[in-house]
Amino acid sequence: MRDDLLDPRAVLLHESAPDREAAVRRCGRALADVGAVAEPYVEAMLERERSLSTYVGEGVAIPHGTNASKGDVLRDAICVVRFPGGVDWDGEHVTLCVGIAAKDNGHVPLLAALAEILLDPDRARALREATEVSDVIKELTA
Amino acid sequence: MAQRTVVVASASGLHARPAKLFVQAAVKAGVPVTIRAGEKAVPAKSMLGVLSLGVVQGTEVTLEADGPGAEEALDTLAALLSRDLDAEEALDA
Repeated sequence: MRDDLLDPRAVLLHESAPDREAAVRRCGRALADVGAVAEPYVEAMLERERSLSTYVGEGVAIPHGTNASKGDVLRDAICVVRFPGGVDWDGEHVTLCVGIAAKDNGHVPLLAALAEILLDPDRARALREATEVSDVIKELTA
Repeated sequence: MAQRTVVVASASGLHARPAKLFVQAAVKAGVPVTIRAGEKAVPAKSMLGVLSLGVVQGTEVTLEADGPGAEEALDTLAALLSRDLDAEEALDA
């Protein structure tokens, strides 16, 4: 597992968002803030979300840009943004977003690891309810 | 047991958009379908299961199903995997 994908500064555990668009924007800003994407990538994330929801199950969504927006990815990275109050996600209830910026396939093992965690109800709960940045990083990159 | 082996054509492999489209098609298939990559097999209608396979472009996967309609369902799903769904994205937008 690559350990350079998740910057601790891109783990935000106490966010709130009125709707899905605001939540996706928050994820995009987190990726921009750590220098992983250029600003237009955020709009591409919204475009992707509108055309096909990135909800994956277990209260988790994985916002990411369109294929056409890969040019705005400066380096592969993910962010983890938790919304304890929940966000309505096209009818689903989302409390955790894993935003993705990826040029190629560098993030696939991490995504597979995330899916493995979410398939285990106990680990999924631990991840959704984590209150320490270090716990999230440990869980995802172990 | 009906079976199809296919090489995943989408540039982004089987996660993100192509995974979602595959899972949606599997839900509609009407018969339970299993997708296998290497040693690991998961229900094709489980987004998390499919993501957990970590399939990238060029990975060979095997689809399996049983019962009435299995052959047709696998034909449909195998055809989907053998197309580059990322390249078709602009057309859908």
